[in-house]
Amino acid sequence: MVTALGRIALSLIQYLGELALLAYETVVSMVVAPIRWRLFARQIVEVGWRSQLVVIVTGMFTGAVLTAQTYFQFASLGMKSATGSVVAVALFRELGPTLTGLMVAGRVGAAVAAEIGTMKVTEQIDALRSLAVHPVDYLVVPRILALVISMPLLVAESVGLGIVASYFVGVHLLDISGPFFLGNLYRYVGPRDIKMALCKAFCFGVVIAFVSCHQGLNAKEGAVGVGRAPTEAVVISSLTILILNFFLTFLLNMLFPYGS
Amino acid sequence: MISVRQLSKTLGSQRVLCGVDLEIATGETCVVLGRSGSGKSVLLKHLIGLFQPTSGEVWVEGEEITHLPERKLGGIRKKIGMLFQSGALFDSMNVEENLAFPLREAGVKNEREIRERVAEALEMVDLAGEQKKMPEKLSGGMRKRVGLARTIVGRPACILYDEPTTGLDPIASDSINHLIRRLQKRLSVTSVVVTHDMKTAFTTADQVAFLHEGRIYFHGTVDALRAAQDAVLTDFIEGRSGDVS
Repeated sequence: MVTALGRIALSLIQYLGELALLAYETVVSMVVAPIRWRLFARQIVEVGWRSQLVVIVTGMFTGAVLTAQTYFQFASLGMKSATGSVVAVALFRELGPTLTGLMVAGRVGAAVAAEIGTMKVTEQIDALRSLAVHPVDYLVVPRILALVISMPLLVAESVGLGIVASYFVGVHLLDISGPFFLGNLYRYVGPRDIKMALCKAFCFGVVIAFVSCHQGLNAKEGAVGVGRAPTEAVVISSLTILILNFFLTFLLNMLFPYGS
Repeated sequence: MISVRQLSKTLGSQRVLCGVDLEIATGETCVVLGRSGSGKSVLLKHLIGLFQPTSGEVWVEGEEITHLPERKLGGIRKKIGMLFQSGALFDSMNVEENLAFPLREAGVKNEREIRERVAEALEMVDLAGEQKKMPEKLSGGMRKRVGLARTIVGRPACILYDEPTTGLDPIASDSINHLIRRLQKRLSVTSVVVTHDMKTAFTTADQVAFLHEGRIYFHGTVDALRAAQDAVLTDFIEGRSGDVS
């Protein structure tokens, strides 16, 4: 039992060490090597543009469902008009960043790990190295930049669409007064909530980027190895997002106290 | 040009190379022979810094590259080209973009010059006019040729070939062997060819090194290899496993 726990702890430390080395190489690359803007633009399209469907559907239906559930509970307490603000705060602080993070981890993280993993086992990464091109410069940095820039924008879009869907469901399908819905929204949602959403989005973007690139770069030979890389990238990214979200919630509430 | 001294490499729990010594002179073609899994490709990858040895040294043109960090190997790698076993073409790029890649990375900006050098390299490997094809549309032999064209387009002083004929039919293999020989004459490059194909060895080699049990078991000319009476060498040359049916 103790041996097994020790082995798990050692592999966790080794994994974190490898991630830290990749992060160090990435920072060094950003300082010493020119950024490949063309590859970056291509990754922005991959991450930002091609994630539109999942982000729109996730944001709108989360906002809509949350509004309906909140309304049915609040209506019995005579607090219907507070529905919009409760939904908006929940979307900004938790559901927007977390659900978007999980969706992007599934769509983009898997694609990144599969693409880099395939390049690894087909010797394309060795070919890059033999042509004097550092794989971190060429493969990792453009993807990391694209993810950390796209994630806050995708979360903002998801939350915005969630609030629009919430307004539509609350005001047009249920019987919440439009002015009350908007009034409470302006009253209870502040810059603090927006800052929390964007900070979480940035952190989740970093997690997805590093975990997925690392899984791809360390893919093992053969179909099983390449198949395992995206699966593990999604599982590790998703679990890390859920766990990190808990700690970020405490940290961000300290950094952005009520009234800030 | 290349000097390997007491090179050892352990991968996982397996000791693949145990004290390899090898000297390759400028302009010479050295064929490294050995059975599958004998560590030939591992040895080759050490020559361009794709692997770092467990112990020992690798020298290229008087510079020790053994423990150079990845970013400092760029200079050496511009002098040495490598043809990978699978061709290792970038599958997101067509043939022309694959060949233009090393030129663009080396800072060549003139698109006309790039087009001309790409066409010249493709012509050398008998694939003129195939610029727009994607790698998945190419046969195994064509992929190796395009890989070779990408290797020579940067005009390296040395070319490393990793199993250049593995997986090809006898006609395609013969064609690759003659292509290697032709490139040696035309470009006067130093070549290291890793293979277990005796025909490749006899067609292309100036010197032959036989890797056995992690060490260089034999190093000499093709004629010396042909004349060898050692059982390990003769079994390999004649393809005798010793098994009976």
